[in-house]
Amino acid sequence: MRPLLPVLALLLGLAASLSASAQGPREAPREAPPRLDAPGGAVPFGPFPVAPADPGAPPSVPGKDATPELIVDLSRPRVSITSAFQGESLLMFGMFDPPGEIVVVVAGPPARETVLRKQRVLGLWLNTGRQAFDDVPAYYFIAASQPLQRLLARGAGGEILSLDDRLSSVRSVGERDHDDLINFRQGLVEVKRREGLYPAAIGQVSIQAGRLFRVELPFPSRLPEGVYEVRTYVLRDGKIVAAVSRPLPVGKVGFSAQLAGWAHNDGALYGLGAILMALMVGWLGGAVVRRM
Amino acid sequence: MNVFVLLGLGGAAGLLAGMFGVGGGFLATPLLIFVGIPPAVAVASQANQVVANSISSLQVAWRRGNVDLRMGLVLLLGGMIGSSAGVSVFTWLKRIGQIDFVIAVLYVVMLSTIGLLMLAESLRTWFRRRRNPEAPRGKLHTHTIVHRLPLKLRFYKSKLYISALLPIGIGFVIGLLSAILGVGGGFVLVPAMIYILGMPTAVVIGTSNFQILFVAANVTFLQAATNGTVDVVLALLLILGGVVGAPIGSRLAAKLPGVALRGLMSILILVVAAELLTELLRTPSSLFSLGIREVMP
Repeated sequence: MRPLLPVLALLLGLAASLSASAQGPREAPREAPPRLDAPGGAVPFGPFPVAPADPGAPPSVPGKDATPELIVDLSRPRVSITSAFQGESLLMFGMFDPPGEIVVVVAGPPARETVLRKQRVLGLWLNTGRQAFDDVPAYYFIAASQPLQRLLARGAGGEILSLDDRLSSVRSVGERDHDDLINFRQGLVEVKRREGLYPAAIGQVSIQAGRLFRVELPFPSRLPEGVYEVRTYVLRDGKIVAAVSRPLPVGKVGFSAQLAGWAHNDGALYGLGAILMALMVGWLGGAVVRRM
Repeated sequence: MNVFVLLGLGGAAGLLAGMFGVGGGFLATPLLIFVGIPPAVAVASQANQVVANSISSLQVAWRRGNVDLRMGLVLLLGGMIGSSAGVSVFTWLKRIGQIDFVIAVLYVVMLSTIGLLMLAESLRTWFRRRRNPEAPRGKLHTHTIVHRLPLKLRFYKSKLYISALLPIGIGFVIGLLSAILGVGGGFVLVPAMIYILGMPTAVVIGTSNFQILFVAANVTFLQAATNGTVDVVLALLLILGGVVGAPIGSRLAAKLPGVALRGLMSILILVVAAELLTELLRTPSSLFSLGIREVMP
């Protein structure tokens, strides 16, 4: 049943978008001003309201012609971290006006990360160095329909950042020797990569029939919570001609979410609850076992 | 983390605890660390498990009247101060990013000490029994500085007239251990009560469980409130495993001779200590790790 769902969603989405374009609200006049999003909002279908593109990060100005159509959706509107969450792969799919190539960038919410470095002291390995970085994305993944270097070489590089480019804008906190800083920055990438948060490989966007595209977004098991941003670009001759951004909430759900929220917001009450639970289970368990 | 792995772990710890008559916390925590639970979380959740463990033991002792309440309360006074101080130290170590290292080092020191002492004791008993089955035990209770301390209190149930500073000091040390290592501390407390305080063996188990219950509850509360390191689900799995494992362990133990049992236990403890030490000595696969992630406003 499960693998069928994305396909079903894709079909539904396509049917909806086809009927929508058949009604013709999108046949905008040629002189329409350039727009960041596809007309009619980022995602004209799908059961969930979608916020407009991040106004703080406007993509490059589209070409002289009207903005080509770009519609995207995800197989699921959010990543739900349950207590049994082992990571998951989300299918992102959509449609665009050919010709063009597709680049998808998924970025997790930025935060301050502290990198700890181990050193051997008296034979024992312990953390001796630490360096904090600001504005580190929790997660970063790029997928493209063509090798990225080829696509970015022709001018879209300022807008679409590869992981290396993105991390070069990460600010270090405090003063440190340049070489040492590079070492810590490499350490940051190393740890993130190990946890699957900065996938090393560029994802493959596959294009079908010249205008349908799909890509798998891999999310590892230890995924930080927050609102992620999924940006999709259409590139034509190395220039961005259309872009759509949509938020992807990642959060804990169910019992584990309630517990985590409780532990975070009211630790004292959580502690009392934990003690009460232990007293009850311990008392009952002891009584039951002795009866046997 | 797989639920069944944790349940099995709780069961194994409970089995060992039942077999050897100890709380099992000092073996469960290293095992949790080996399966990949962050040491800080393992320790705090283990303290939560100790609450369940001690109430279940206290139940019996209380009914039989084997609790010296006065002694328990004096021990507890030290225990509360010690555990509160311990959680503060824990918080500070966590902030400077050294908590995992300190936990591992303290466990290596503690486990190898206990393991070696137990091994020596069981070997001695083994050989002595073979040579002379009626070797008398030396009296360790001597009248020294212990009886000259001020603040003397009369403990009727324990038939003792000693300074309150002594149990307070012992309680303080146990509280520290409990906060930083997540153990109940019974394996230190019980010998201390018998040999240092000179309490009658009958009331030792009940009284130690009385103090451990409240100290572990205090640690659980403070860890949850200040560090957020208590994982209730993890603790519950450990408790359930222990509830099932402990009676099986004690039934198994009844079928084995005591000396062999203690010898086995000491070897097990030493193996765990050696494994923890190797982790500290081995060149790590990655020199880097991440501290706490702070979301920016």
